[in-house]
Amino acid sequence: MVIVKRKELSFSERLFLPEIARALSHSLRTLFRKKITRQYPEEPLLTTAVTRGQPRLLEKEDGHLACVSCGLCEIACPAYAITIDGQETDRFIEREPERFEIDMLRCILCGFCEEACPKDAIFMSNELELADYSREALIYDIEKLKRPASALAERMEYIRKINDRWSTSSST
Amino acid sequence: MDLWVVWLVKAVLIYGGLITLAAGMTLAERKVSAWIQWRIGPNRVGPWGLLQPLADGIKFLFKEEMVPQDANPVLFRLAPMMAAMPPMIAVAVIPFAGELTILGHATTLSIADIDLSAIFVVAIGGLSVYGVILGGWSSNSKYSLLGGLRASAQMVSYELSLLLCILAVVVLSGSLDLRVIVAGQSGSLFAWNLWTQPLAFLLFVVATFAETNRHPFDFAECEPELVGGFHTEYSSMKFALFFIGEYCAMIVMACLTVTFFLGGPEVPFWPAAPWFIQLACFLAKAGFFLFLFLWVRWTLPRFRFDQLMALGWKVMLPLALLNLFVTGALVSLGVLD
Repeated sequence: MVIVKRKELSFSERLFLPEIARALSHSLRTLFRKKITRQYPEEPLLTTAVTRGQPRLLEKEDGHLACVSCGLCEIACPAYAITIDGQETDRFIEREPERFEIDMLRCILCGFCEEACPKDAIFMSNELELADYSREALIYDIEKLKRPASALAERMEYIRKINDRWSTSSST
Repeated sequence: MDLWVVWLVKAVLIYGGLITLAAGMTLAERKVSAWIQWRIGPNRVGPWGLLQPLADGIKFLFKEEMVPQDANPVLFRLAPMMAAMPPMIAVAVIPFAGELTILGHATTLSIADIDLSAIFVVAIGGLSVYGVILGGWSSNSKYSLLGGLRASAQMVSYELSLLLCILAVVVLSGSLDLRVIVAGQSGSLFAWNLWTQPLAFLLFVVATFAETNRHPFDFAECEPELVGGFHTEYSSMKFALFFIGEYCAMIVMACLTVTFFLGGPEVPFWPAAPWFIQLACFLAKAGFFLFLFLWVRWTLPRFRFDQLMALGWKVMLPLALLNLFVTGALVSLGVLD
């Protein structure tokens, strides 16, 4: 059994008025505090390399995707958001996706596709804004998904660092 | 007696000012509440959000008007008007400034010249609770009804203390005319009734919070318990009218506090100030009390209903009676004049 001892209020506390004056002076001071509002469209959200935004495909400098349409991300995706149809190419890489679609309404931004990818071809970008007028418009195809390395550089660097950590720990 | 043209000019000036101020109060309410919570507040409509009240007004006008199926159709429509009108009528007798000349006629800046203006203002002000009670009852909703009931109980409890405080001031100045009460406080800063009636001043300010249904006494609305209280079922401009009434009541109460206790339009250390300086001084004093309404709202939590009643009947009423008795005794003994 817990006996809660209530503090006896002193006379000035029972009078309320000094305490009210104290509370009013406190709220008056908060009136002049620095505002913490972020005025969103003008002041965008801050992102870092760790930010897991929407998945994007890496476009290499020769204009082709790094993706070889192995389908590992498609399998790794817990939300079944990714659809890939592969095709053969004449290039050394031999395979590339003919169709690569991510249904952004299904995507849960978990980053499993990025982890699964053996070719470092898909990355979680720092793009966070997702809005459109129809469901169809939010199924992103290759044209909407591909980004040059410059746009993903920070995240790529971060992922390589993570992967290096795994490889060194497994070797020791 | 004023010429009718002079009356018209004064009426347009004062009512225009009142409605503008009430609209400004809705913005001030949101701005001050934002600042106290470290936010910025409305800043998208016009510079610094100044056109926000206008945008709100347009929105209210275009909103769908809903009348509940089982509501009393006549009283349901009448109630918002009854809530908005009394404070607008009461403002007619408040002396905002001293002598001024309009179109070559010397006059004072108050719309009506009534000898019993102190009685008039509380009589009319007391009517505003009917709007709240009728609105709550005619909606035929339990939350609205409870809000209306609470409002009536609260008004009865706090109007008494309010009137007893006014009565103490009236005893002191020997007149029910607001202009005479103001004149009695002229001369110096220390002639204000604030110094001779500090207890009445305190009780009056607390009672104005209850009278205008403001925090910490806003039991008629009381969102967490009663959804929206008496205006739960109201929408569009009818809803807005309740708010215009509430803000006008706040303005009138702030003006009355200034008139009764802070010397009305008296400018400290400058007795012969021109009328516009006096008006500015009056508005500055009233503005402090309007700010106090907002300031207290975001500082004190709401009372419990039994605490409200206990405070009203067991603390404020005896104190107000004691104050009136002591004041009367001192005046009749000639200690105060």
